[in-house]
Amino acid sequence: MSAVALRNLAARKLRTLLTSLAIVLGVMMVAGTYILTDTIDSSFERIFTQSNQGVDAVVKTKQAVETDDGTVPPFDASVLHRVERSPGVAVAAGVIADPQVSIIDSDGEPIGGMGAPSFGFSTGPERFDPLTYVEGGPPQADAEIVIDKATADAEGFELGDAIEVAGKAEASEYELAGIATLGEVDSFGGATLALLTLPEAQRITGKRGQFDQITIAADEQTTPEQLTASLSDSLPKTVQAETGEEDVQSQREDIGVFLGFLQTALLVFAGVALFVAAFLIFNTFSITVAQRTREFAMLRTLGAGRRQIIAAVVLEALVIGLLASVLGLAAGIGFSPAVGALFGGVGIDLPTSGTIIELRTVIVSLVIGTAIAVLSALLPALRATRVPPVQGLREGAVLETPRERGRRNVAGVVLSALGLAAMLLGLFGVLSPGELWLGIGAIAVFIGVALLSPRLVTPMASVIGRPLERLRGIPGRIARENAIRNPGRTAVTAAALMIGLALVSFVAIFASGLRSSIEGAIDKTIVGDLFIANSDGFSDIPVGVTDAVAEIDGVATVSPTRYTQNEVEGTEGGGYLTLVDPETAPDVLTLDWEQGSQEVLGELGASEAVIDEKWGTDNGFSVGDEFTARTVSGEELELTVSGTFTDTTDYIGDYAASDANAAAYGEERNATSVLVNLAAGSDAAAVRSEIEAAVGERFPTIETQDQQQLKDSIGEQLNTLLGVVYALLFLAVIVSLFGIVNTLALSIHERTRELGLLRAVGTSRSQVRRIVRYEAVITALIGAVLGLALGVVFAVVVSRPLADEGFVLSIPVPTLIALLALAVLAGVLAAIGPARRASRLDVLQALSYE
Amino acid sequence: MNPLSADHTNSAAIVSARGLRRDFGEGEAAVRALDDVSVDLPKGRFTAIMGPSGSGKSTLMHVLAGLDRPTAGTITIDGTELGPLNDAELTRLRRDKLGFVFQFFNLLPVLTAEENILLPLKLAGREADQERKSTLIDAVGLGDRLSHRPAELSGGQQQRVAIARALLSEPAVVFADEPTGNLDTTSSGEVLALLRRAVDEFGQTVAMVTHDPQAAASADRVLVLVDGRIVSDEPARDADQVQSLMRPSAIS
Repeated sequence: MSAVALRNLAARKLRTLLTSLAIVLGVMMVAGTYILTDTIDSSFERIFTQSNQGVDAVVKTKQAVETDDGTVPPFDASVLHRVERSPGVAVAAGVIADPQVSIIDSDGEPIGGMGAPSFGFSTGPERFDPLTYVEGGPPQADAEIVIDKATADAEGFELGDAIEVAGKAEASEYELAGIATLGEVDSFGGATLALLTLPEAQRITGKRGQFDQITIAADEQTTPEQLTASLSDSLPKTVQAETGEEDVQSQREDIGVFLGFLQTALLVFAGVALFVAAFLIFNTFSITVAQRTREFAMLRTLGAGRRQIIAAVVLEALVIGLLASVLGLAAGIGFSPAVGALFGGVGIDLPTSGTIIELRTVIVSLVIGTAIAVLSALLPALRATRVPPVQGLREGAVLETPRERGRRNVAGVVLSALGLAAMLLGLFGVLSPGELWLGIGAIAVFIGVALLSPRLVTPMASVIGRPLERLRGIPGRIARENAIRNPGRTAVTAAALMIGLALVSFVAIFASGLRSSIEGAIDKTIVGDLFIANSDGFSDIPVGVTDAVAEIDGVATVSPTRYTQNEVEGTEGGGYLTLVDPETAPDVLTLDWEQGSQEVLGELGASEAVIDEKWGTDNGFSVGDEFTARTVSGEELELTVSGTFTDTTDYIGDYAASDANAAAYGEERNATSVLVNLAAGSDAAAVRSEIEAAVGERFPTIETQDQQQLKDSIGEQLNTLLGVVYALLFLAVIVSLFGIVNTLALSIHERTRELGLLRAVGTSRSQVRRIVRYEAVITALIGAVLGLALGVVFAVVVSRPLADEGFVLSIPVPTLIALLALAVLAGVLAAIGPARRASRLDVLQALSYE
Repeated sequence: MNPLSADHTNSAAIVSARGLRRDFGEGEAAVRALDDVSVDLPKGRFTAIMGPSGSGKSTLMHVLAGLDRPTAGTITIDGTELGPLNDAELTRLRRDKLGFVFQFFNLLPVLTAEENILLPLKLAGREADQERKSTLIDAVGLGDRLSHRPAELSGGQQQRVAIARALLSEPAVVFADEPTGNLDTTSSGEVLALLRRAVDEFGQTVAMVTHDPQAAASADRVLVLVDGRIVSDEPARDADQVQSLMRPSAIS
């Protein structure tokens, strides 16, 4: 029997290829994801290990609050003396290592992509210096700088050039004294590196009298562990000592959080592609097994057992799955840099040197691809072999009885309903983790709708096909009839496309809602005339900008805001908050008050907070209550709730407090944004260019926008993100296109004689092609319509919990119409091959084909 | 000489073939299915093409109908020589000038009987002549079953629908390939009677490949092929006479 299975594969190469391709793409994404994240992880590990060369221990501020980026505030330089006096210390050096020191390019813009840090380091003893100087050497004077080779090459900087650098202090110019690489590593993945003398590094980062860390080498009698232990005993509680090794690992863990997120996100997309591939395989096997019902029946009359037949079909799937998984794994090696490039293209540069293929990657890829193929083929195999041999030998054996059809419909309804319920329960936090249940629910809905879709195919094909028939005559008519003659087949084919399009349209609808909600919130909340923030859209800007802007003519009010993280006792989550300047905030920010008013904001005391109403409800805080906030520097603040407001877009975070506490929150040098109100009668555009010119020269990292520009730039960021999501979902859509190609090819194979007849009675080749093409278009449109409908349903469901926070759903009709048009195009593309084949059939051979 | 029989230069011939040769395969395995066949099908006559299995009768029909190309020789249908026509032109010729009735699978299962009848005209984007359509529908006797799909019709009914489709566009010639090969005696009779009527009442030209003497007997003329050559060309009288034409003695 296994020989029969293998012969089948060999005999139907094209179908085998198409079926495999679906799995290849899915496995490629899985393998590519692992390879990419492993590679990034190992690159970072190399960078961290390299930088900690010769370091036995480091002292840093003890992390009091889990922050997204893992950074800790600096500590007082006096700690260095205590370290130096500790036993076992040979050399200790205070270091500045700040991720927000930008090198400015010739256009006056900071260099560096989105998310990639721009490091500023201070020089230290040579034994700790991880850099290899390609040209020149370390900075000898405060006016000298060393930068990394990648940046120097990209910008064409040469030794002796004046390099402008911006940090928390005003921008300064330095003479380029050296160009360096970090050991073997020549790319930090878009990050830049600037090396200054210690005093200059302290000055530019606004950390005078402070260090980010102390780097220590042990004497010859002391191990790093002993050193760390003795340091821990002698140092203040606000700092901690770690071995060099531990420090590398903890830095890696910080990156690991981000990488884990990236990995999960990419695996979700891979899962979508594999899910679609499963539909394709299921459909292919359903069709081919049905076509071979007679063959199986014949084999069974010859004495083959049912199990043997099933085993043969499963073996066929196993071989396809394994083969495709191997190919997918190989393709993943190429896919990994492609995804890296995709992120790089939108400004998220990640370091990738070498290609790391872990055993885990190989195993997971092979197992997943093979398992999906086998599981998808099992049901058709079971179904086909249930037909009694004698019945199977007769032509046109029916594989599904009306009773089964009824059961299938019931199962479809039940699954869809359960799926929706799971989504809602996950969303509203009844079932946790919410994301998981949301995903499980969505999968159940997809399968449920796919089970129901055979019922929907006939009416939908009639509606969609009618205009085709009217416009295109008999080929349209035949195409429509062909689409519905085997509703199950068309339904599963369409369902595969439905999944991709449902997700695409869901994302489009959700993003559109998000965008209009954000715009609405900006209109309502940010009432300032101008908005100043970092040109990368999210990094901090120096708070010194505030005073500089205040000096500009035509500026009435300047108000800095600081968005930061803390931990509130008895709560969970990110712990975001905004520090505002009470004196000026009411002029530039209007909160959507539940309890309280703008006056409360204006009179916000140092120990008061106004809170997000939803956050308050979730955690049981209301006006008059007190809560304890622990800041990044380890201080604990008692805050009293003096008002509540609705925060539609999480612009403020959990609460807003007075920036009198900025130092306690470790934010005294930083502002997230600076809001500006203009004096009556002054020209916004003129003031804006004045700020850009005068303030921008001193603080090159800032960008000044009016409300519309702010909305546009947020829209742009959203579109960039959408672009990445679409690109990843696109692969799932491609897989479903293979499904259409495959189904058409198999149907054409079945209808060979019909096609011969059509040609004999005078159907032209182009008419035959049209028949096939229209069938593909009808199938694609059914998938698209179902997909768009589900996308809308998903968007409505998922936005339910956000509705309380003012999320307004808006359906982007032009986008949805464009998706329908794309589906038509997809159908046309998928039909090219099969249509060509159908039209090239030799009429005589087709007529005599059995 | 029988006026209906072979006058090879008959100017009233609607289909005219000269020196047809058709070889299949190459070298050692080559088979000559047609060997220097010249034949005319006169307008308004019913010609049966007979012969044992492998005699080349089906090949002759396929070649005459432009479904297959001869290795050598020329075919002219209604004044058009097929040789120089490309696939699109041949398709158009089939659609506009020829009617086909096959043994199996004559109808598109997804279309109703009526839609099947109208198919070639629809493909051409033409409207049916309503009068001819109703005459034909009367003739095939399917008035109440027109909206049925082929699967709901008997074999004989299906063949009659196929004949109606072949006749609707008033083709130059109708080619029927074993149209009764799959039918019982009664249904066969009905199908043959219908073809006969097409010739007698509508002046249609019909060429029918068959191996059944009974069927051939309803034609005006019987051509017998053996090993790719025409060995006999006689007016058809009755089944016994046709049977005798097929006997090896008559052939050699």
